[in-house]
Amino acid sequence: MELYDSATSAWSSSGSSSSSSSKPPPQHQQDIDGLLAEAGYKIRSSDLRQVAQRLERLEIAMVNSPADFSQLASDAIYYNPSDLASWVDSLLSEFTQPATCPSEFIMDPVTNQTVVNNVWTTDEPHTPQVHQNISYEQQSLNHQLTVVTAMEENSGIRLVHMLMTCAECVQRGDLSLASSLIDDMQMLLTRVNTVCGIGKVAGHFIDALSHRIFQGIGVGSINGGSVYENEILYHHFYEACPYLKFAHFTANQAILEALEGHDCVHVVDFNLMHGLQWPALIQALALRPSGPPLLRLTGIGQPSPDGRDSLREIGLRLAELARSVNVRFTFRGVAASRLEDIKPWMLQVNPEEAVAVNSIMQLHRLLGSDSTRNCPIETVLSWIRSLNPKIMTVVEQEANHNQPGYLDRFTEALYYYSTLFDSLEACTVQPEKALAEIYIQREIANVVSCEGSARVERHEPLAKWRTRLSGAGFRALHLGSNAFKQASMLLTLFSAEGYSVEENEGCLSLGWHSRPLIAASAWQVMPDPAAEFLAWDNHQSFS
Amino acid sequence: MQHHHRNRHRQGQETVEENKEKRPKFFINDHVDILVEILKRLDGRSLGVAACVCRLWCTITRNDSLWEDLCFCHLSPPPSRVRSIVVALGGYKRLYMACVRPVRSRLGKVRGASWTRDEAQLSLSLFCVDCYERLGGVEGSNSSTGRLVGESSASSLMFLCKPVNV
Repeated sequence: MELYDSATSAWSSSGSSSSSSSKPPPQHQQDIDGLLAEAGYKIRSSDLRQVAQRLERLEIAMVNSPADFSQLASDAIYYNPSDLASWVDSLLSEFTQPATCPSEFIMDPVTNQTVVNNVWTTDEPHTPQVHQNISYEQQSLNHQLTVVTAMEENSGIRLVHMLMTCAECVQRGDLSLASSLIDDMQMLLTRVNTVCGIGKVAGHFIDALSHRIFQGIGVGSINGGSVYENEILYHHFYEACPYLKFAHFTANQAILEALEGHDCVHVVDFNLMHGLQWPALIQALALRPSGPPLLRLTGIGQPSPDGRDSLREIGLRLAELARSVNVRFTFRGVAASRLEDIKPWMLQVNPEEAVAVNSIMQLHRLLGSDSTRNCPIETVLSWIRSLNPKIMTVVEQEANHNQPGYLDRFTEALYYYSTLFDSLEACTVQPEKALAEIYIQREIANVVSCEGSARVERHEPLAKWRTRLSGAGFRALHLGSNAFKQASMLLTLFSAEGYSVEENEGCLSLGWHSRPLIAASAWQVMPDPAAEFLAWDNHQSFS
Repeated sequence: MQHHHRNRHRQGQETVEENKEKRPKFFINDHVDILVEILKRLDGRSLGVAACVCRLWCTITRNDSLWEDLCFCHLSPPPSRVRSIVVALGGYKRLYMACVRPVRSRLGKVRGASWTRDEAQLSLSLFCVDCYERLGGVEGSNSSTGRLVGESSASSLMFLCKPVNV
């Protein structure tokens, strides 16, 4: 079968066409399915269901009677394969056994591939004779049911295809076709279950795409919610799924081990929010065999517009907790709207204290670069290095959402967030679940509809972070078996069965059904040989 | 209540026989120290049941030290600092009800089976986060903040609750 190039017009009868852009279908052929037409098949939309059923039957027939199949392959005449309906009919008539066995299409949400599950022959051998034992009524009823499921799954698959096509149009700049696709998709959404599964995720992506198409890039940010709103959403995301808990506990374990033996410790948190990470560290330090150290916490956060000093409030709460468990504690809040605006002197690090830097999903926001300035990530990493921390814990989303090509980014995001939403289905606590979904939705909106400095969700996978951090003068610290044990234990506490922790060259990642979604790693500063020599030389000359 | 009868039988064997001549019956409520020793050895569910027996038993079971053994049984004696921390964070009974019991049931621990220091530490950490969330409302001026924290104060450990099958 020939597959026509999608760029050429699909309605020309000759094999090739000179037109370079796909034209909208002429009026009298409006009922031909557009998506399949781009691939070269002419099927009426109204015939789609029947053709799908017959394709099912054809496949079962082929699988069940290999003898006929080989004969088919050797000598048979086919009709024009672009007329898919009659082609399938002609092939079916070649087979002696009409297979009436109902089957289901099951869509694997992660890989978006369809797997045919033959309902009747799961336990029995693959023989067509089995079907004759089943009563006609049951057959037709089940066939109706599977047709409904098949239709819904088909709608889900169609949605995904349409989303990809729309993203590709956006990449090409063909906004008119993109907007008509948006309308089609919104109509298709009404036929799909939007409470769970692909329908829900698709809805968010459609919203983000339409925002990009109709309101332009970076014009008002879709996630320009107030600081207060963001904190609430973050809190509910923390409650609803284990990703942030995993991040906090793993980072705390690494920090605890690195700060062992030091009596004066200073932890710098790049995004304080409600400070949920620190009670556990305070308690662990209180129970340290060598006694609790003096703990200084510097929390960086967004300035609140209404004059509330939210950083100070959180600091007071943490101080009260620390006081109750007898840990000497001081807190300092640094308000900054962007991490790159911070200068190291603002953190007031003493040379005697052991510093730990903690970044939970903040470094990726620094990857956007204006052509005029340096990449902010390099500035920040260099001043982190100048603080000489004993450890820097980095937790980032394990996704590749910073590729230059829009379609690649879109596809990655679709798979990533589908998996994330899938894992969220297991959460049973409301309203945490609903608000966690809004939190994720804002991320989606930023990845899909923003560009330039407005696009802050520039996730990169762990491998890229390794290269980047090694290049900036850091070396990886292995997280250790305690962290792994703790993470595994934490996961068994969550009622959902799909989470998995993996260890990868000393870094831990948490995933859903073996797709890693968030990765935690620890780093220390690579000693600079020249600086060390200078320090030694100075020491020698003074002694 | 099997422990109760067995212990009473073992510990109070001679006392029972002696007292049979002196007094018509042996009333455990007269010997609160023995009662406490017995109750200390019960598991969580039995302790809860014991609390419903009578007012004296109810008062005794409210004593936090009974729950301490339940939380850290089979572990080598923890340093004394643990006690002060747990008490500061809300007490052993709360620790047991909020963290230890659901964590143990989730981790599939059979009643009375020993559990490791790691599991105990994880429970303690989760308990600490929960306590911190309940601390909210330090600033009473902003009512909406108070409401936010009040709403979410109990939810840090919600994931430990069994999902209700509706």
